[in-house]
Amino acid sequence: MSEGNILEVKDLHVDIHMTEGLLTAVRGVNFEMKKGETLGLVGESGCGKSLTCKAILGINDRKCVPSGQILFDSEGLGKVDLLSLDPKGQNIRSIRGKEISMIFQEPMVAFSPMYTIGNQINEATRLHITKDKKKSKEISMEVMRKVGIANVEKRYNQYPHEFSGGMLQRALIAMALVCNPKMLIADEPTTALDVTIQAQILELMKELQKDFNMAILFITHDLGVVAKMCDRVAVMYLGKIVESAEASEIYANPQHPYTRGLIGSVHKIGSRKEDRLFSIEGTVPLAMNLPKACGFYDRCDVRIEGLCDKAEPELTEIAPGHKIACFNCPHEACRAQREKVEAMLKKEAVKNG
Amino acid sequence: MDKENILEVKGLHKRFTSKGVTVKAVTDVSFNVKPGETIGIVGESGCGKTTLGRCIVRAYSASEGEVFYRTKSGEELDFLKADKKKMKEIRKEIQMIFQDPYSSLDPRMTVLDIIKEPLRANYPNMSKDEMDQKAKAMAEKVGLNPTYLMRYPHAFSGGQRQRIGIARALVIEPQIIVCDEAVSALDVSIQAQVINLLRDLQKELKLTYLFISHDLSVVEHISDKVGVMYLGQMVEFAPAEELFEKPRHPYTEALLSAVPVADPTIQMNRIPLKGEIPNPANPPSGCYFHERCHYCIDKCRTDSPKLTTTQDGRSCACHRADELGLRGFTYDENAKTQKAGK
Ligand SMILES: Nc1ncnc2c1ncn2[C@@H]1O[C@H](COP(=O)(O)OP(=O)(O)OP(=O)(O)O)[C@@H](O)[C@H]1O
Ligand SMILES: Nc1ncnc2c1ncn2[C@@H]1O[C@H](COP(=O)(O)OP(=O)(O)OP(=O)(O)O)[C@@H](O)[C@H]1O
Ligand code: SF4
Ligand code: SF4
Ligand SMILES: [Mg+2]
Ligand SMILES: [Mg+2]
Repeated sequence: MSEGNILEVKDLHVDIHMTEGLLTAVRGVNFEMKKGETLGLVGESGCGKSLTCKAILGINDRKCVPSGQILFDSEGLGKVDLLSLDPKGQNIRSIRGKEISMIFQEPMVAFSPMYTIGNQINEATRLHITKDKKKSKEISMEVMRKVGIANVEKRYNQYPHEFSGGMLQRALIAMALVCNPKMLIADEPTTALDVTIQAQILELMKELQKDFNMAILFITHDLGVVAKMCDRVAVMYLGKIVESAEASEIYANPQHPYTRGLIGSVHKIGSRKEDRLFSIEGTVPLAMNLPKACGFYDRCDVRIEGLCDKAEPELTEIAPGHKIACFNCPHEACRAQREKVEAMLKKEAVKNG
Repeated sequence: MDKENILEVKGLHKRFTSKGVTVKAVTDVSFNVKPGETIGIVGESGCGKTTLGRCIVRAYSASEGEVFYRTKSGEELDFLKADKKKMKEIRKEIQMIFQDPYSSLDPRMTVLDIIKEPLRANYPNMSKDEMDQKAKAMAEKVGLNPTYLMRYPHAFSGGQRQRIGIARALVIEPQIIVCDEAVSALDVSIQAQVINLLRDLQKELKLTYLFISHDLSVVEHISDKVGVMYLGQMVEFAPAEELFEKPRHPYTEALLSAVPVADPTIQMNRIPLKGEIPNPANPPSGCYFHERCHYCIDKCRTDSPKLTTTQDGRSCACHRADELGLRGFTYDENAKTQKAGK
C-alpha cells in the first residue's frame, strides 16, 4: 500500500449468480483513497456503486460474490485485505462500524422503529467505545449535539417516527460518527432530502470531516452534490471506472465520452433556455454475457469500429491524477494503448485467417 | 374566465382530516395558465405540490375554491359545478404523469395494453383496430420501439417506463398534462432524454404542462413560469427567468441559495434556514414562514400575507416584498456560464 492511503481497491469484481445467468456487476474496479479526502463515485443507476461499497464493508448478499483486493490501513490490524477476512468473523466486525462507518440513503430503514434514537446510537457507542453506562450515554449525547440536533435531552428518548427526515439523517450521521471512524461510506445520503435540508447535511458532513480527519467515499448520481463535496471523482459505467480525476479537472476538462455526456446533460441554471439538453442516446446494457468490447460502445458518438467493439480499453493515466479508459483519446498514453491493441487485433486476425 | 387562459385556479383549498386532525395541504392557491405554457411548481417535501396537481386532474376534489377550464371545444367549465358528463370530458383533457415509473404501470399488462387503457376507458365504442393504431402511433412518437409493445413493463429501464407513462397520458390527446416529479427518479443522462422528449411533444401537440419537481435546475430549464409553495401556500409566482434572477420571497431566496451547482468553481453562499419545516396540521400564526425568516418583523407574526402584486408587477406573498432586495442567480449574457449571488 502507498504511504498516506487509507484504502486501495484493486481489480474488484462482483459476480451475481442469478437464475438467468451470471451478472458481472462490478468488472475490475481500481481506485485508491488518501487519508482525509473525499472521493465521489458517480454513474448511472445499476453501474455497481452500491455493490462496490458493500464489498468494502463485507455486507454483500450471499449470491453476490466479490473478488480482487481491498487493502485498508487499519488501526487495529495494520494493513489488511478486507476481502480476505471472514465476512462473519471478529476481524471485519472490529473494522465495520468502528474504523469504517456508513450512511445509507433511507434513514427510516436504518433505524428500528421499536427503540428510541438515543438507545440505538448508544448501542454503537457501547459496542465500540465503552461499556460504562453513564459515560457511553454522555458520549452518545455529545455526538448528537455535534451533528446539530437541538434539545438532545428530549430527543434522546424519542422514537424515529418523531423525527423529520432531515433530523433522522442527522441522527444517522451521529450513529456513524460515534466511534471516530477513519473512513465514512456515504451511499446517496441526501437523495431523499429537500435542497435546503440537503445543503445543511452536506455542510455538516464537511465540518465533521475536518474535525475527525476522516476520508469519505461519497456515492451519488447528483453532479451538483459532487461539485460541492468532493476532492476527487471516479466515474463508473457498467461496472468499471472509466475516468477519475480531481473534481475541478473532471468538470473543467472531462475526457471520457461518457463523462462528457454526463456533465453536458446537466442543465445549468441561467444557461439559455431554447437550448435542448444534451443527452446520451440509448440505455445502459445489462451486465450479462457482455461482449469483449468497450461497455459504452453502443452509446458512444466517437466510437471506432473494429477497435472499440473488439477490445476493452484499460484505465490509463493521461496527466498526474487524471485517468481515463478510452481508445479515442488524443493523449499519448492512450494512443500508445490503442496502437498496442490494434497491433494485437491485427495479429489475431491474421492467425484466424 | 379570461379569454387568454386555458386554466384558472382561484382560492383553492384542500384539507385532509383523519382522527380529528386536519391538515391544510393546500391553502388559498390562485394562478392562471395560458395554453402552451409550462408552469413549474417547486417547494419542500410536503408543501402540497402533489395535492395541488391532483386537485387539478380531479383525482381529489377541492375543499374550497374554484378551477375554471377551457375545453378543446372552447367551452368554459367550472370544475366544481360541472356535471358527470362534463367531468369526464375534463378528465380526458387533463392527464397526469406520475413520479414513480415502476409502480405506476400494471405489471400484468403488456405495454400496448397499458397505452390503450385510457382509450378503452374513454371511448367504449372505438374499434380495437383503431385503438391499436392510435396506441402504436403514440408509442412511436415517444420513441418506443414497436417490437417492445407486446412485452411487460418489468422488462424496461426507468427511462423507457417513463416513456410508456407519457404515451399513456398522451394517447387520448389531452390539452394539459400534470407531470409530478416525472423525471426525478431517472438518471442524469436519461433525464435529459425525457425532458427533450417532453419539450418536443409540447411543441408538436401544443400541450400545456404543470411541471412539479423539487429539482430547481430542471424546473428552470423547462418552465415559462414558476410557482413556489411553502406549507400549502403559493408564496411566489413569476416568469422563470425573473424568479431565478430576482426572487421576491425570502423563502425563494433561501431555496435558490441551496441548489447544488454542478461546477466546483462556484461557491454558493447558502442562506441557512432556521429551524424545521412546521407541522402542516398546526401551522404558525401570521406568515407561515416567519419562524424561519431572516427578515421577519412584528407584523409577520400576526398578519398573514396574501399573494399580491408588487410595485413592479410581480406576485409574492410577503409583507416586505417591495422593500427587500433579495439575491438570486445572476445571468451571464456572453457565455452559458452562471455566477452565484450578486
Ligand atoms: N442482491 C442483488 N441481487 C441481484 N442483483 C443485484 C443485487 N444487488 C445488485 N444487483 C444488480 O447489480 C447491479 C449493480 O447494482 P448496484 O446496487 O451496485 O448499483 P448502483 O450503481 O448502486 O445503482 P443505483 O444508483 O441505482 O443505486 C444492478 O444491475 C443491480 O440490479
Ligand atoms: N391523502 C392524504 N391524506 C392525508 N394527508 C395527506 C394526503 N395527501 C397528502 N397529505 C398531506 O398533505 C401535505 C401535502 O402533501 P403533498 O403530497 O401534496 O406534498 P408534496 O409537496 O407533493 O411533497 P413531496 O415533495 O414529498 O412529494 C402533507 O403534509 C401530506 O402529509
Ligand atoms: S473506447 Fe471507443 S466506444 Fe469506448 S468510450 Fe472510447 S471511443 Fe467510445
Ligand atoms: S411576511 Fe415577514 S416573515 Fe413572511 S416572508 Fe415576508 S418578511 Fe419573512
Ligand atoms: Mg446504489
Ligand atoms: Mg409529491
